[in-house]
Amino acid sequence: MSDMKAETSAGAGTDPLVAAPFGLPPESYDPSPAILSQRPPGPWRMLWSKFSRNPYAMTGLVVLTFFVVMALLAPFISKYEPSRIDMMFANLKPGTDGHLLGTDELGRDIFTRLLYSARISLLIGFSVAFASVFIGSIVGAVSGYFGGWVDTIFMRLVDVMNSVPTLFLNILVLAIFSSEIKYMIMILAFTSWMSIARLVRGNFLQLREMQYVEAARAIGVSNWGIIFRHLLRNGSFPIIVNATLMVGSAILSESALSFLGLGIQAPATSWGVMLSNAQEFMLVDKLQALYPGLCILLVVLAVNFIGDGIRDALDPRQSMSKTRRRLKLWRKNYSKSGN
Amino acid sequence: MAEKLLEIRKLTVGFVTDKGLVKATDEISLSIRQGQTVCLVGESGSGKSVTSLAVMRLIDYAGGVIADGSIEYHGQDLALKSQEEMRHIRGNRIAMIFQDPMSSLNPVFTVGEQIAESLRLHQNMSGDKAWNAAVDMLRTVGIPAPEIRAKQYPHELSGGMCQRVVIAIALACKPELLIADEPTTALDVTVQAQILDLLRKLQAELGMSILLITHDMGVAAEMADRVAVMYAGAIVEEGPVEDIFNTPSHPYTVGLLQSIPGFEGERGRELYTIRGTIPPIGQLPDGCRFHPRCPHAMDICRQKEPFDFLVGDGDDHRAACWLFEDRPVALVDGRGGRDEVKRA
Amino acid sequence: MTEYLVRRLLQSVLVIFLITVATFLLIHAAPGGPTQVMLAPGLSPEAMAQQKANMGLDKPIPIQYIKWVGGLLKGDLGYTFKNHIPVGDLLWPRMANTLILMGAAWFVSLIIAIPWGIYNSTREYGLSDQTSSFISYLGFAMPSFWFGILLQQWLSLELDWFPLSDMHSRGKEGDIGDLFMHLVLPVSVLALGFLASYLKYARASMLEVLDQDYIRTARAKGVKERKVVFRHALRNALIPVITVIGLDLPILVSGAVLTENVFNWPGMGRFYVENALAREYSVLMAITIVTAVIVIIGNLLADILYAVVDPRVKISGKGGKSA
Repeated sequence: MSDMKAETSAGAGTDPLVAAPFGLPPESYDPSPAILSQRPPGPWRMLWSKFSRNPYAMTGLVVLTFFVVMALLAPFISKYEPSRIDMMFANLKPGTDGHLLGTDELGRDIFTRLLYSARISLLIGFSVAFASVFIGSIVGAVSGYFGGWVDTIFMRLVDVMNSVPTLFLNILVLAIFSSEIKYMIMILAFTSWMSIARLVRGNFLQLREMQYVEAARAIGVSNWGIIFRHLLRNGSFPIIVNATLMVGSAILSESALSFLGLGIQAPATSWGVMLSNAQEFMLVDKLQALYPGLCILLVVLAVNFIGDGIRDALDPRQSMSKTRRRLKLWRKNYSKSGN
Repeated sequence: MAEKLLEIRKLTVGFVTDKGLVKATDEISLSIRQGQTVCLVGESGSGKSVTSLAVMRLIDYAGGVIADGSIEYHGQDLALKSQEEMRHIRGNRIAMIFQDPMSSLNPVFTVGEQIAESLRLHQNMSGDKAWNAAVDMLRTVGIPAPEIRAKQYPHELSGGMCQRVVIAIALACKPELLIADEPTTALDVTVQAQILDLLRKLQAELGMSILLITHDMGVAAEMADRVAVMYAGAIVEEGPVEDIFNTPSHPYTVGLLQSIPGFEGERGRELYTIRGTIPPIGQLPDGCRFHPRCPHAMDICRQKEPFDFLVGDGDDHRAACWLFEDRPVALVDGRGGRDEVKRA
Repeated sequence: MTEYLVRRLLQSVLVIFLITVATFLLIHAAPGGPTQVMLAPGLSPEAMAQQKANMGLDKPIPIQYIKWVGGLLKGDLGYTFKNHIPVGDLLWPRMANTLILMGAAWFVSLIIAIPWGIYNSTREYGLSDQTSSFISYLGFAMPSFWFGILLQQWLSLELDWFPLSDMHSRGKEGDIGDLFMHLVLPVSVLALGFLASYLKYARASMLEVLDQDYIRTARAKGVKERKVVFRHALRNALIPVITVIGLDLPILVSGAVLTENVFNWPGMGRFYVENALAREYSVLMAITIVTAVIVIIGNLLADILYAVVDPRVKISGKGGKSA
């Protein structure tokens, strides 16, 4: 809301022709030379500088990196094979014979299985996030950019997708098309693109109103060119936040489906498979259930912290709420009345 | 002359940030007499709303603190009161209306309920009695068919109607002082005039004082007995309305008045603008806060903050500008204002 | 209001129609179609054709679809392939069991989350607020089935406070106290999940409302801070919370898949998984449709609730929601 008449023309204040009825040199106004002389940092750098000051987000990043490195280097870290059965060495206690976390009821090294499970979980987590960003961006962009009946159809589709419980649909599809990893990635992506589509669509509804789209059209840029470039430039940050959080939920879904016996199938292993196994042998070995669940919890927490960290770094209001917190602590010192 | 109802002395209100206290108002002084209308004018960000919230002590809820100074009301310092004590004053002796009438009313209660609540709180009225008084209040503020309107929700009324309701809430307990923060800004021009007329009429009926906050010099000219011009957290000029408009003294006030598009002025004339923008709070320049935009800036303006000086012949028109150095306020009169004693 | 409801109802019917088509096509897109699984292996081609004809699977797909939807409209959810039992007979009792479980979890989490979230909004970043935000993070990141297993190991196997699994102890069907003991662990698991989001919503919604102009007006009136929160802010803050809760209603039916499997609870979720593993497509189709219908009814209920709480919706019916 524009206040004050002088302010409505404030933008013209820098124009020496409009200003200076009293004939003063315009350079006498210089609010803060330090700020003006610096080039503003790019959006990525701004993001990082805020992100890196968030202890939760940084912890998340460290934990996630740790898991990624462990997963990638699995064959070099452990000399055992994840699914080799050796009944001679079944149910060993942690630490015996070089089995860091012991062995399970079939003599498989638990630590090794955790490592290889991390591969599956992370692979699925990232692929699903990537694929659903892909689907969601296309649907959202097309829907928001073209509007009209295209939009109506896509948005009804989103309604339909949101009306079927996701887990039910995942189970149904995996029951129909065997539980291969590629089907799993596909169905998980297929049931999680809707939020991204909504996001991108909203973004594009704004875009349609903007002047430079007209300009771009006028100089002959194609619709797809406009969509693609706009998406990269203006819509990318909220999508990144959403995609990050999606990695976590995909990992949770994978472990859930595998736990139910509809996901990863033996001899392959995943944290969900291990948990399902552990529940069966709960009476024999209590610790077995602890490790894989802890891994899932840590990875998902890490990913969520990272996602929240990015979102907070993007949110200008976030610094306000920090101020508010400090204010509560400090206001007594400043307040005249002491309350 | 009527008695002073409210006297603000060297009030400093701020917000606590990483860098310590950021001052939104800097030692402002202002007094309001009984039955008087004082207009606080200034651009957005000049600290006028913060001042009004401070008087109500609502600034505590907006994240600000009263760091220094006093707000004397009937000899008591409001800045030292607890919220519980303030509660009995707010809405009862001092009432406030806000800029956007639509969002100032609670969407889930009928307007009648919202007025009656005030009466129940401060006048010990019971259900039916409060409701009838609320309906009367609606009639007083000029709402047709008040019995029906009272049962409606805010979204069923127009903006002008809503502002009348807001005024009805504020005046329900017949306060001594009404603080109106941009009461007409969000309304259509025709409605604006009606609301101002209404305020004037009610002021005459109730004998209350008004602290009117506005960015519109036209509104100030129409309503005010006295005008205080705020710039970047300080009152730069204050005086009787005729003096401010006839002999504006501070270069900022001069600029403000020149930037009003006069309707009898020749068309095609280039509109005057004050160069630059108001500095954000916490980033004030050295010396006089207005000097970077001032067409008369002198050396002293860049180095030393001006005190309040008397201008003209009387003793009730002051300006904080080195151009009027010869008559410091503090030497003439013991009342408020920025004076050398404190600064040195 | 009526016009608004009618429009919403028509939209819902359209969505349900699309879901039936999608589900039906999905099943028939399965490699080999439904026949593959339904028919006993090793049948001669003639016998197979005969059986197909019996089950109506020899007809063209659109005809099959119309027959199926016609049945649904009459409340006929179809028959299981294996024993030819009406799906409805199996489904409804299990749905009731799920409702008991989820209803309890939902109730528990609501009566904790709403007051607590509101309390936290008035004391931002206090100890209680930090605790609840910790719970939210945990609830979002922890695999519910893992939490369930941990609870079983600790509170059941180790301490023997609560039964390990199932809905009733043997021979104690209908005993409320026994049912209650069986409910504690699964309800704890489910409630954590609900709490995670409800706490966040209640707090965020309340914080947003406390920032509104009309709250300032209330304070300017001299209303007590407690009344500002409970009278002026609460009702406004509950409006979006009710929407979220309404959107969650369907989970009451479907959301317990994992928990039911961990605790061997004879509900819809476990039933669904059993039939998925056995590839009982008619059951899967039936459950998908039934839950979709419940989802949509849930959304409708949320809208109606909305209109009850928010006076702006009653009149306009259209735009009023964007409060």
